[in-house]
Amino acid sequence: MRRVLVLHAHPVPTSFNAALFHATCEGLRAGGWEVDGCDLYAECFNPVMSEVERVGYHTTPDNIAPVAGYVDRVREATALVLVFPVWNFGYPAMLKGFFDRVFLPGVSFELVDGTLQANLTHVHRLAAVTTYGATRVRAFAAGDPPRKVVTRALKACLHPGASCTYHALYDMNTASDGRRTGYLARVRTAMEQF
Amino acid sequence: MKAVVIYCHPDPESFTAAVKQTVCAKLQSAGAETRVLDLYDLDFQPVLTQGAWRAYEDESRNCEGVEAHVETVRWADTMIFVYPTWWYGMPAMLKGWLDRVLVPGVAFHMPQGEDIRPALHNITRLGVFTTGGASRWLTAFIGAPGRRTLMRGVRLLCAPKVRLSFAMHYDMDDSTPATRERHLRKVARAMDRLVRPQSGERA
Repeated sequence: MRRVLVLHAHPVPTSFNAALFHATCEGLRAGGWEVDGCDLYAECFNPVMSEVERVGYHTTPDNIAPVAGYVDRVREATALVLVFPVWNFGYPAMLKGFFDRVFLPGVSFELVDGTLQANLTHVHRLAAVTTYGATRVRAFAAGDPPRKVVTRALKACLHPGASCTYHALYDMNTASDGRRTGYLARVRTAMEQF
Repeated sequence: MKAVVIYCHPDPESFTAAVKQTVCAKLQSAGAETRVLDLYDLDFQPVLTQGAWRAYEDESRNCEGVEAHVETVRWADTMIFVYPTWWYGMPAMLKGWLDRVLVPGVAFHMPQGEDIRPALHNITRLGVFTTGGASRWLTAFIGAPGRRTLMRGVRLLCAPKVRLSFAMHYDMDDSTPATRERHLRKVARAMDRLVRPQSGERA
């Protein structure tokens, strides 16, 4: 079974980022994937980890109770795609909170004898589709934190041989229509071939 | 000195709360006016809404709902973040604070068709104090994204010669009372350096 979970976080349904989300889902479907499109804003996801969740964080399996539906969707996926805007050199809070609350011990990793073990070994592919307000140079100067979180930290939770691709359009504030359309088309093609 | 401490942890009995207390005690003994923004206690709403996004570039409206936070950021000359590192970054609560409060006209200017220009020139001291489950080596291998978001991303918006301070307790899951105590002393020393008078400032 080839099932992909597409996580998306942008507040405006008519935004360029939302267009990227739709192009991603369409491309993946055209490529033969069963697509679970998860638009976190549309689903009114609550990104804030509560005190109760924090205190019970390491208590498996009860720790998944507040987000069990999302845990199921992660567990059913064999691929993961993120579509989000980079704000302040990081994920939007909405997406960051998804990792805080859903990627729990017993879900995405296990602590075995004090060492971290990947637990999403059923996920073989990872991709991110992002837009940056910053220029590439400025993002590089800041160490490009979102790129590192995706290509290193998140990838480390998956199957050891999992592939990872990171698509980015920098300097969105000055991007011409041509650059945007080109990026949209490239993303759609990349997803068809995913 | 006018200091704002942006504090984010859901559990009032956490070690991060002890770090905040150490930071605040040092600010007090340095005679700093201090304001603490306890984001969980304030029930801060970290999600940038559709309305806020549409008003984002309109400097007359983009602070709606976070006016008090913006006023505090403009008032301060010292900005200190105290939080746990989750998934190599800030908790969503704190990330959302950056997204909603450090907007155009407050933290930076966004001239049409040009790169952004920094606007937090009032901030001459920036402190970041955090804890994390990962080891120092793993964090370094991943590239310390949380640290970079603040120590580079936010730092680029501050005064050019901003004084920086950073301390992190790694391997929190293996921490002991001794390592935590040692870390609090480290935070205290870092704070001593951070609050030292700067050139042109009265001692």
